[in-house]
Amino acid sequence: MSEVTQTAGVLEPHGRVAEAEAHHPGAVIYVIVAAFLAVLTAMEITVFYVPALKAVVVPVLLVLAAAKFALIALFFMHLKYDSWVLSAFFLFGLLIAFVLLFAMMMLFAYLTHHRD
Amino acid sequence: MAAQPKALPLEVPSYLEGGLLGWLTTVDHKRVAVLYAISTLLFMAIGGIEAMLLRLQLWSPENHFISASLYNQLFTMHGTTMIFLVVMPMEVGFFGNFFMPIQIGARDVAFPRLNAMSFWIFLAGAIFLHLGWLWGLLPNAGWFGYANLTERYFSPGLNLDFWVVGLLILGVSTLMGGLNFFVTIIAMRAKGMSYLRMPMFTWMILVTSILILIAFPPLTVGLVFLLLDRFFDTHFYVSLFGATPILWQHLFWLFGHPEVYIMILPAFGFISEILPVYARKPLFGYPMMVYATIMIAFLSYGVWGHHMFATGMGPVADSAFAITSMLIAIPTGIKIFSWLATVWGGSLRMTTSLYFALAMLLEFTIGGLSGVMFAAAPVDLQQTDTYFVVAHFHYVLFGGSMFAILAALYYWWPKITGRMLSERLGKIEFWFTIIGFNGTFLPMHFLGMWGMPRRIYTYGAGLGWTHLNQFETVCAFILGLSFLILYYNLIMSTLIGEKATADPWDGRSLEWSIASPPPAYNFAHSPVVRSRDAFWAMKYGRAGSRGVAMFMAGQIPAVPESQQAIPTEPIHMPAPSIYPVLIALSLMMMGSGLVIGEWRIIIIGVAALIASVVAMAFEYPTYGQDTHEIEEAEASSGGIDLRKAGLWAFLGSECVFFASLIATYVVYKSRNIGGPGAGILEIPLTSISTFALLMSSLAMVLALNAIQRNKKNLMRLWLGITIMLGLVFLGVEAYEFAHFYREGLSMQTDLFGQSFFTLVGFHGFHVSIGVLWLTTVWFASFSDKFDKSRALSVELGGLYWHFVDIVWVIIFTLVYLMQQVKGA
Repeated sequence: MSEVTQTAGVLEPHGRVAEAEAHHPGAVIYVIVAAFLAVLTAMEITVFYVPALKAVVVPVLLVLAAAKFALIALFFMHLKYDSWVLSAFFLFGLLIAFVLLFAMMMLFAYLTHHRD
Repeated sequence: MAAQPKALPLEVPSYLEGGLLGWLTTVDHKRVAVLYAISTLLFMAIGGIEAMLLRLQLWSPENHFISASLYNQLFTMHGTTMIFLVVMPMEVGFFGNFFMPIQIGARDVAFPRLNAMSFWIFLAGAIFLHLGWLWGLLPNAGWFGYANLTERYFSPGLNLDFWVVGLLILGVSTLMGGLNFFVTIIAMRAKGMSYLRMPMFTWMILVTSILILIAFPPLTVGLVFLLLDRFFDTHFYVSLFGATPILWQHLFWLFGHPEVYIMILPAFGFISEILPVYARKPLFGYPMMVYATIMIAFLSYGVWGHHMFATGMGPVADSAFAITSMLIAIPTGIKIFSWLATVWGGSLRMTTSLYFALAMLLEFTIGGLSGVMFAAAPVDLQQTDTYFVVAHFHYVLFGGSMFAILAALYYWWPKITGRMLSERLGKIEFWFTIIGFNGTFLPMHFLGMWGMPRRIYTYGAGLGWTHLNQFETVCAFILGLSFLILYYNLIMSTLIGEKATADPWDGRSLEWSIASPPPAYNFAHSPVVRSRDAFWAMKYGRAGSRGVAMFMAGQIPAVPESQQAIPTEPIHMPAPSIYPVLIALSLMMMGSGLVIGEWRIIIIGVAALIASVVAMAFEYPTYGQDTHEIEEAEASSGGIDLRKAGLWAFLGSECVFFASLIATYVVYKSRNIGGPGAGILEIPLTSISTFALLMSSLAMVLALNAIQRNKKNLMRLWLGITIMLGLVFLGVEAYEFAHFYREGLSMQTDLFGQSFFTLVGFHGFHVSIGVLWLTTVWFASFSDKFDKSRALSVELGGLYWHFVDIVWVIIFTLVYLMQQVKGA
C-alpha cells in the first residue's frame, strides 16, 4: 500500500519512485556509456572523411547511429531497467516511424523514376 | 418500458452541482464530458444547417440560391465541422470522457488538468475555424484541403489561414486527449480488471487513442508545411519549384484513413455495450472482437493509398494498398457477425437505443460493402470524385458513427443527467432518421454511377440528375427534422424528464452501479472486478445466468453492499485549475496574430503560453502534505508511474512526427533544383554541437543520479551544466543558420533549404522546450520540499532531453554525414 497525494492533477503513488530508482545504474556506467558515445561519434566523422569507405558509408553510418541511439535509450533513458511496457510504447512509435519513412521513400522513388 | 430494478440507495451530491466558475475551472472528467457534449451538439446543429443549404442549392439545375464561392465554403465547413467538431469529439471527448474512467473503476482520468486543457483547446480551435464567418471568409478548399489549391497563389484570402491554424490547434487538443485516455486505461484500471475483462467500449477507446497518437503527427507536419507555404513563402507543395502536391495527399491520408477508424471504433464500442444489455446476453465472441479491433487498427495505418489510386502511384503500390484495404473487411466482418450472434436468440427490449443500434448494423454494412468496392483500383478510378463516394462515406460516418452516437445517447443519457429521454419521441425520431437518411444518401450511389461529380456548385438541366437531387433534398429536410425532435427531446428531458434510477436498463458494466447522475468521486469505494460484465456479475453472481430469469420474473437483483456504501472518509480529488483556459486563450491569441500578421499579438500569446505552463507547474505548493491511502491505483498499473507512462507514449508519437519530417527531407533532397544544396553543411562545426548535446545527456543522468541520492547541490550543478550545453547547441545552430543565410540558403531558396530548415529547426525548437523545462526544474529545486521524492520530476525532464538527443543522432547522420548520398 502506498501514499497518494494530489499534484499537477495527478494521483501519484510515491512508493513506486523509490522502487524504480533502485534499478537505475550508477554514475560509473553513465560515464562509460558517454565515452562509447563519444568514440562512436568520432568514428562517424572519420568515416565521413575517409574516401576509401565511400562505398560502405551508408550502412556503416546507419549501424553507428543505431548503436548510439540504442545506448542512449537503454542506459540514459533506462529502458534496459524500467518496465517492458514503457519500451513497448516507444518501440511501437518507432516501428510506425520506420514503416512511414520506408513507405514514403519507396512511393516517391517510384514517382521520381516515372516522372516522364 | 420494461420494469426497472429498484434504484440504488445512494444519496450523494451529483457532479453537476456547482457554479459558473466551477465549470470554467473544472478538471472532473464528467464535467469536461458535459462541456464537450454541449459544444458538439451546437456544432452538429451548425454542420446540419450547412448541409441543408447545400441541398437547397442542388435542388434544381442552374440554381443560384447561393453563390459558388459560398457553396465551396459550406461544403468545406460541413465536412470539417462534422469530422473534427462533432463525430470525433462527441465519441471520444464526450462519451469517452464520461464513461471510460467509470467503466474501469477509476475516479478520474490520469491527467485531469490535461483533460480540461484538451477541451478548452478544442473549443479554441473550433471557434477559430468559425472566425471566418465574421468576414465571410470561411475555409473553402474541402475538408481534405488538397494542395496546391490551398497555396496562397490559388487561395489568396484568409479563408484557408483560419483552416490551417484552426486544425493545428484542434490537433493539439486531440493528441492531449488520446495520450490521456491511453495512460488512463493502461494504468488506472480497478483491481481485477484485466485487459480481457475490460468493457468493449473501453477497448475501443484504448485502440482509438493509439491511433490518435500515430495518425495525427503526419497531419500536423502536413499542416505545418502548408502554414509555411502560406505565411513564409516556402514551396512544399508547389511543383514549379520541384516539389509535389502529392506529398500533401500522403501526409493527409496517413492521418485521414486512420481517422475514419478513430471515428468508427468508438461507435463499435457503443454497439458492443448496447446490444448485450437490451438482448440480455453477453457479447458474443468477446476475445475475437478484441483481436479484430487490434487488426483493424493495425491495417488502418496501411490503407491510406486507396484514397490516391487516381494519382498514379504505380502498380506495386496500388496492389499493396488494394490488398490491405480488402483485408480490413475481414475483422470488420467478424464484428458484424458477432453483433448479430449477440442479438440472435436474445430476450430483446425494443428501446429507441436498440432501434438505432440495429439500424447501425444495416446502414454501416451497406457503407462497408461500397468501401470494399473502392479497394479495387480499377473500380475506384471510375468512382473517385463522384457522388458514389459521398454516398459511401455518409453510410459509414452517418449510418455507422452517427446512428451509434444516437443509440449511445438514448442509452447513457439517464446516467449523465439522471433523467430519462422520451421513448415515444425517440421512436418518432428514429423513423424520421431512417427515412431521411436513406432517402438522402441511397440515391447518391446512382447519381455517382451516372457520373455526377462531387463538390460541384450546380449542374446542367439535361443530365437527368434533377429528380433524384430533388428527392434527396426533401429527404435531407426530413433528416433535419429528426434532429429537431432529438434536440427537443434532450431539452425537455433535462427540464422535466422522468427521473432515472441508477440502473434503468439492467446494465452490465460498472457505470450502472453508481448513482444517476454520478457523484463527483464516482465510486465511494473502488470496485473489485472479478469477471467480464463486472456489474452484472455483482448483481447476479459470477456466471450471471440467473439474470434474465430473475428479471423476467420481476425480481429485484441484490445490489452489492460495496456499491451501496457512501464514503466514510474524505475523498481526495484533483483540484480545479484556471490554467487550461488560459493556455487555450494563449494559443488562440497566437493563431489570431499569425492570421492577421500582427507579430506583437503572437509574442504576447507566446509569453502568455509560457507563463501559464510554468505557473501550472507550480500550482500546488502543498505537494506531499495532504495524503491519504488508496489501493485502487495499485491494481492494474503494474507499478508504472502515470507521468512516466504518459511521457513515453508521447515520445512514441513524436517518433512519427519526426519520421514525417525526415521523410520529406529525404524525398525533397533528391528533387532539389538550384541553390547550394547539402554541400553547404559544415561537419566540423556541427560535430562540436553534436558532442555538446551528447555530453549534455551525460550531465542530465548525473543530475538524476545526484537527486536520487538526495544531493541537491550536486543535482543543481549537473542540471545547470545540461542547460548550458543545451544553450551551446542552440547557439551553434543559430550561428549555422545565420551563416547559411549569408551564403544564400534560406527557407525560400529551394527544396533542400526549406526541408532542411524545417527539420533541423523543429529539432532546435524541441531543444528550446527542453531547456525551458529543465530551467523550471532547476528553479523548483530551490524549494525546501524538493528532495529525493521529487526525483521523478528530474527524470521526466531528462527523458525528454535524451529523446531530443537521439533525434539529433539520426539527423546528424542522415542530414550532415550523408550529405552526398542521393535521396529517394
